Amino acid sequence: MKILVCISNVPDTTTKIRFTEANTSIDTTGIQWVINPWDELALTRALELKDDAATGVKSVTVAHVGLATSEPTLRKALAIGADDAIRVNADPSDSYFVAAQLAEAVRKEGFDIVFCGIESSDHNNSAVGGMTAEFLGIPSVSAISGIRIENGTAILTRDIDGGKESIRIPAPFVAIVQKGIAKEPRIASMRGIMTARTKPVKLLEPVQTEALTVVSGLEKPSPRAACKFVDAENAGQLIDLLQNEAKVI
Amino acid sequence: MAKQIIFTITLLITLGVFFYTVRRLARFFSFTRPGFPVKDIGKRFGMMMKVAFGQTKIFRRPVLGLFHALVFWGFCIIIFGSIEMVVDGTTGTERFLHFLGPVYDFIIASGDIFAVLVGVSIIIFLSRRLFFHIRRFEGIEMKRRSHLDANISLTMILILMVSLLVMNAGYAGYSTASGREAFGSYPVGSFIAGLFPAAGEESFRLAYEIAWWTHILMIFVFANYLPYSKHFHVFMSVPNVFLSNLEPMGKLRNMDSITREVKLMLDPETAFSAASSDAPPERFGVKDAEDVVWKNYFDSLSCTECGRCTSVCPANITGKKLSPRKVMMDLRARMKEKGPLMIRNGREFSDNRSLLRDYISEEELWACTTCNACAKECPININHPALIIDMRRYLVLEEGSAPGELKSTFSNIENNGAPWQYSAADRLNWAQDLNFKVPVMAELYARGENPEYLYWVGCAGAFDDRYRKVVRAFATILDRMKVSYAVLGTEETCTGDPARRAGNEMLFQMQALQVIGLLNNYNVKKVLTTCPHCFNTFRNEYPDLGGNFEVINYTNFLLDGIRDGKVRISNEKFSGSVITYHDPCYLGRANEIYSEPREIIGRVTGSVAEMSRHKSFALCCGAGGSQMFKEAEKGTREIFIERTEEALSTNADIIATACPFCMTMMTDGIKYKNSEEKVKNLDIAELVAQSLE
Amino acid sequence: MSVLVYTENWEGKFKKQSYELVSYASAMADQVRTNVVAVSVGKADETELARLGNYGASKIINLTGDHFKTLDNQVYTDALAEIALKEGAEVIIFTNNNSGKAIAPRLSVRLKAGLASGVSGLPLSLEPFVLRKRAYSGNAFAHVTIKSPIRIISILQNSFEINERPTGAVPEIIAAATPGAAGRTVVTDTFRQTGKILLTDADIVVSGGRGMKSPENWGPIEELAALLGGATACSRPVSDEGWRSHEEHTGQTGKIIAPNLYIAVGISGATQHLAGVSGSKYIVAINSDKDAPIFESAQYGIVGDAMKVLPKIVEAARSLKK
Repeated sequence: MKILVCISNVPDTTTKIRFTEANTSIDTTGIQWVINPWDELALTRALELKDDAATGVKSVTVAHVGLATSEPTLRKALAIGADDAIRVNADPSDSYFVAAQLAEAVRKEGFDIVFCGIESSDHNNSAVGGMTAEFLGIPSVSAISGIRIENGTAILTRDIDGGKESIRIPAPFVAIVQKGIAKEPRIASMRGIMTARTKPVKLLEPVQTEALTVVSGLEKPSPRAACKFVDAENAGQLIDLLQNEAKVI
Repeated sequence: MAKQIIFTITLLITLGVFFYTVRRLARFFSFTRPGFPVKDIGKRFGMMMKVAFGQTKIFRRPVLGLFHALVFWGFCIIIFGSIEMVVDGTTGTERFLHFLGPVYDFIIASGDIFAVLVGVSIIIFLSRRLFFHIRRFEGIEMKRRSHLDANISLTMILILMVSLLVMNAGYAGYSTASGREAFGSYPVGSFIAGLFPAAGEESFRLAYEIAWWTHILMIFVFANYLPYSKHFHVFMSVPNVFLSNLEPMGKLRNMDSITREVKLMLDPETAFSAASSDAPPERFGVKDAEDVVWKNYFDSLSCTECGRCTSVCPANITGKKLSPRKVMMDLRARMKEKGPLMIRNGREFSDNRSLLRDYISEEELWACTTCNACAKECPININHPALIIDMRRYLVLEEGSAPGELKSTFSNIENNGAPWQYSAADRLNWAQDLNFKVPVMAELYARGENPEYLYWVGCAGAFDDRYRKVVRAFATILDRMKVSYAVLGTEETCTGDPARRAGNEMLFQMQALQVIGLLNNYNVKKVLTTCPHCFNTFRNEYPDLGGNFEVINYTNFLLDGIRDGKVRISNEKFSGSVITYHDPCYLGRANEIYSEPREIIGRVTGSVAEMSRHKSFALCCGAGGSQMFKEAEKGTREIFIERTEEALSTNADIIATACPFCMTMMTDGIKYKNSEEKVKNLDIAELVAQSLE
Repeated sequence: MSVLVYTENWEGKFKKQSYELVSYASAMADQVRTNVVAVSVGKADETELARLGNYGASKIINLTGDHFKTLDNQVYTDALAEIALKEGAEVIIFTNNNSGKAIAPRLSVRLKAGLASGVSGLPLSLEPFVLRKRAYSGNAFAHVTIKSPIRIISILQNSFEINERPTGAVPEIIAAATPGAAGRTVVTDTFRQTGKILLTDADIVVSGGRGMKSPENWGPIEELAALLGGATACSRPVSDEGWRSHEEHTGQTGKIIAPNLYIAVGISGATQHLAGVSGSKYIVAINSDKDAPIFESAQYGIVGDAMKVLPKIVEAARSLKK
């Protein structure tokens, strides 16, 4: 079985987001780029499945749509344990575009399971996974918080409101995964970093697709108002404020 | 003549067996790694005189220590007699050393007296083992075999002492009875002989002969038993002390193999290029017996299984699985198991077992707080922490294996330059709303100014809510003193200390090289620190990576300032308070700074209370060794509660600390014990800042 | 032409978020001058369906069929695509929840309709069609322009006011034909948590931390939650100590919630905890330490002993109920 993990390159979560002049993109100076946290968990789970000989998973590939500046992130994924990487050499303009590229890569190479993180920490679109599956015409399952492989069949755990479902699905499919898919992300060992240097990174040229959306502006959220203190002696006043001022009760 | 022949044969057999044992051990050593160059012979000699011959560390437990010292000194004296017996036995001379005259009398008389002292001590030791339940002698690593070994060894020594006394009594007796002059002086021997007025020359001579043979044969047996026993320390202890680690205890050995790799990683040219044609470096860290540096194996052979290390280990005290003694015993046992296999099949041979996991579990390794209490307590300077960290290094560098929380800590240091998830852009927020401006290095440098000191704030100082107040207090004092200093502000990044203690040597060196480069760019010469972990890393570990700065801990700095009058304080604020001081491991044992904070405290109050475990005996707060960033391993209680209870039992009003981690732990401990109303936790800097005139 | 809104039903019933969604769709429909068609997949209660009409849905469709029993993304996408085309939907609206995230992207590719997810608020402009959506995990808003003629929007839960505007529409129940290709998602087991209000559903949450000192003191917290119609939660040390169940633990490593009101009692406000509740509309903090970091994230705060302050608040809440 071959697993593909789609990864995106995002700014580290503690980055202070600043905008460029025209407020149309973020200022990338000094940004530390990392693998999208959900994708990292997906990669970890994929590697765990591969480590277990009983699953039949033979390889884990990572795929990414991005320019050469994403190389370090790809190498990190290889250092964590992926066997090889595919990079579609294009600017990831919107989810539709990215999904079209990934779908083409899947079509070319052929994978049994495709993992996508449910969202990326920069755009929070929650779109690429489902879109890729639709482009490929294969099933997708979303909100996946667990996966195991028994006798060649994938058994997934899907989160639903107030509970979980256990799902069986035949390959090939796209699993859109979220928190719980792996306990914590793997880290790259020194040995991993050294071996990553020799793992193959295949470069693909993008297929012609238009983006359906574009980020035309960025805005800062309005700063939170300072805390309004209520005197402890008149604590009951809080209820009054919550009802009449905040209107939440 | 016959006696000489028989004796020489037994001597040759003994030497033969001994030679076989030594060769076997030498071959085991040949499998270990080099990496401990023996330099500073003068300092080593001094250490040996103090710790080995002076028995200074054994005296950390004064009463028992005295008895052991007597045994050791007794052995040192009696050995002259033993050597003489060997010469006498082979050449047929009688007490050949007697030509030394009065010196000989002195040696023999001392030996005579010491035979009693040693004998009494041994009886005490045996009684403790046989009739009392001594906690230190128990543990999962203490199997029946260990107890048997101990008792056999002690019994052998007792036999040696008794036989020596009988020998001396016999010699004194028959010398007197025959009217011949005795060589040597026998105060005790003569006394014993005098107890048997009826015995004649023949009886004494017979007693002497039997005792003589008993004694020397016992020595031969003992000498060959020792290498296979915990009492090998009889041979190994003095050399082990001579070969001690002379560096400050807080310093961990730099991994040069990692430095090469990290430099490649940091250079964009080589970061992703294919590996060089050199053979891949051998295993990082320690997984099995052959991965250790030869000195680690030497340590394990010298270990007497006394258990003093384990008895002061904060993890062990609170019920975690870690026992420093076990780590040493396990290494010795594993080499005993694998050594013969490697001799037969080569160093690369695998029996599908290893020191890691089959002997020492990961749980044990991750429980260590790197407090160095074990290394400090060991009477023969065994360095347990080095081995524990080397095994952590294997786990992280080779397997990428670590407790989950530490993986997050590593990611945080790598991605945002601090063990917690905070943005570097917020590193100067602590300086807001002070009524003076905190000078920032980049700004000063742009104006062409070069401050005398760099005040290194550290990650806790920047981001920990409570510790920010300490940093503010210290900055206030610096401002008052009109010190020429600057902080790096948002350019600061983690020194890498938590990474190194957790075994992530790669991440540590990446951070270290970054920090050193940054400081060198600003031509920094002097670094002031408030955090002892940063202090330790800068002072002891950065020089290995090219960072040579004069590093000053703030307690020294403040005390100097107070003594010079640059910092004027009064004891008005705290005169009524009883203050107890909790020694941070990284200031205390790691760097031998004990008195400066105490002197500062002494100047702000007259009422100082010491905890029973203080100075080099201080109990760790539990946060070191990256424990701060992870869940505690399974145990019976928390280390910080143990220490807080000890602090509270002094009835102090204030628990003074000098470290951000200790502060977090003690403050939490006070809350946990519901004592926030009565007891406060303040940093040394705060005590000074609040006492400023 | 229409604005199609996907109103998910839970065992035939709708939730508050469903009405928020229809209200949003209705406001959107006003802007683009058309009507709202609400579609629910999987058999729903007729009275429940009719209620959607109260919030502006002029047409209410319910697709029934056994093949809708469990969510198969392809099956649902097929069904909704068909309705979308039939009703000439120019805007299709989802909630940005589990099912929204599962279906909307597929529908986007199926209809070649641009998707903006995590949207809060009505469009900033119609020509071009620009929406404001959550980005950088809450650290910024992105203005997204959808270039395609059909637009798909998924809105953030709890981000739009419910607005009653009855239309009197009568629900249309359509038994959808069993699709040619069977859905390949097979649900073999379901585990559901029963009982109290789900923490993740609750609008109001009252949460206790270590400052409560002991599990015996939780009475006022539970009472306040009950009086306000909310759920109870706790911080990590509390669940670690076993004072409250792990299900109540909110925080970075526990549940991440975004209620209207989060009342934190005796919680210092460590970053890990705040990460779990920072999406709350209002945070109220009660803590005896005036320097507790939680006050920096709260809109209302009381510095005092929880044991003394809570009873006063409970009392006031009781009077409110009367």
